[in-house]
Amino acid sequence: MVIDMHVHPVFYKDICDDEEELIFRENTFGVWKQGPMSFEEAFAEMDYGKIDKEAVLPLDVSTTAGGCVVTNEQIAKLVALRPDRLIGFASVDPHRKDALETLERAFTQLGLKGLKLNPSKQKFYPMDKELEPIYELCEKQNKPVIFHAGTSWEPDTPAKYSHPLAFEEIFIKYPNLRCCLAHFAWPWVREMCMLMLKYPNVYTDTSVLYLDSPEESILRLFTEDMGKRWAERAFANQILFASNTPRFRAFKIRRAIEKLPVNEETKAAILGGNAVRFLGME
Amino acid sequence: MVKLQIIERMSHKPEEYMLITEDVHRIVEASGIEDGLAVVVTAHTTTGIIVNEALPCVESDISDMLERMAPLDADYAHAHFLPSYGATGNNSQGHLKSLVCGNSCMFPVIGGKIVCGGAQDIYLVDFDGPQKRKIYVEVMGEPKESNHKRKGEEK
Repeated sequence: MVIDMHVHPVFYKDICDDEEELIFRENTFGVWKQGPMSFEEAFAEMDYGKIDKEAVLPLDVSTTAGGCVVTNEQIAKLVALRPDRLIGFASVDPHRKDALETLERAFTQLGLKGLKLNPSKQKFYPMDKELEPIYELCEKQNKPVIFHAGTSWEPDTPAKYSHPLAFEEIFIKYPNLRCCLAHFAWPWVREMCMLMLKYPNVYTDTSVLYLDSPEESILRLFTEDMGKRWAERAFANQILFASNTPRFRAFKIRRAIEKLPVNEETKAAILGGNAVRFLGME
Repeated sequence: MVKLQIIERMSHKPEEYMLITEDVHRIVEASGIEDGLAVVVTAHTTTGIIVNEALPCVESDISDMLERMAPLDADYAHAHFLPSYGATGNNSQGHLKSLVCGNSCMFPVIGGKIVCGGAQDIYLVDFDGPQKRKIYVEVMGEPKESNHKRKGEEK
């Protein structure tokens, strides 16, 4: 099974009824010139890329931006429409007074499979005290957490909140919590590698197309930013295939991964096997 | 008199040749225009409108020629973050192939029908699929006699 672990469904037509909300999404998320797209169009791309499922991520920025880019309820609606293709994640603004209740509801009532947090956009340090009950709930309910890590294209996102070293103490305090620091924490790839070496429950993903063509970007990541054999020797079980749609096109990222000079077992693990374990679907 | 119709097509792979000949003929015949011009224009910058013979071998030769002119792995400048999109541009191949093919074609309309040779098929070609695409078909000219008469009667 091939799973794209990083998709922002901001333009999925079934949750694009409100023009004002769509403009808020564009300006808050920082992506423009793309219109609402039907499932037919979204899944045509997945089908061409032979991608079976994708994880769809909301973003709650209630206290910092006054709303949600996509709500947990909208994610649940999309998943209910196409449970065969979509894996729904939750989001919660940790500064909300009802953050824990909101997250608990997302897991128990909406059936969402994990949590997505963006420290830079939501303005918190990963080890802030107010996050502890959230991590405890995720650990208790066996829900993985995807953190935005490294640079971000969203407006108003200081990178200091998302430096990989800011996360390390989470992994010490919550050793059973599965965490993904997305985007290889770019540009801090070596720091990301250090964390994966030390903590087996730490994952990262391949949505790193910040510069160059997909082939150039992914090849550089796997052969220059990392040593040529690192993915096979050390991180074969910790890298997740991810596109960051709609910023990058998923089938092109997959195409670039297929061309990598790494063995087929590692590619298969990156494309889906690791996501199955990360999601607790084993 | 001017009549505008929109055709929408969904591509399912990065490069796809989609025949729209029948759609265009149908639109012209339903336009009520007797003599004039039909123009087919794509709304996109990574698609092309081409007129050629609809044979798989011809399609293959066109595709191969375009790939030689604009290969996937060439060193394109358009491969970097685009602030106005919030995304990385990496579809230069599609832009260049679109440039070679052009964005439109035009045919005479005589006697209420498009004047199209037997080997002249009309394609929408997507060079950045899979995507939903939109094409405009505009028919301009003198209305059919019956329309004239009706107008005259109304006066």
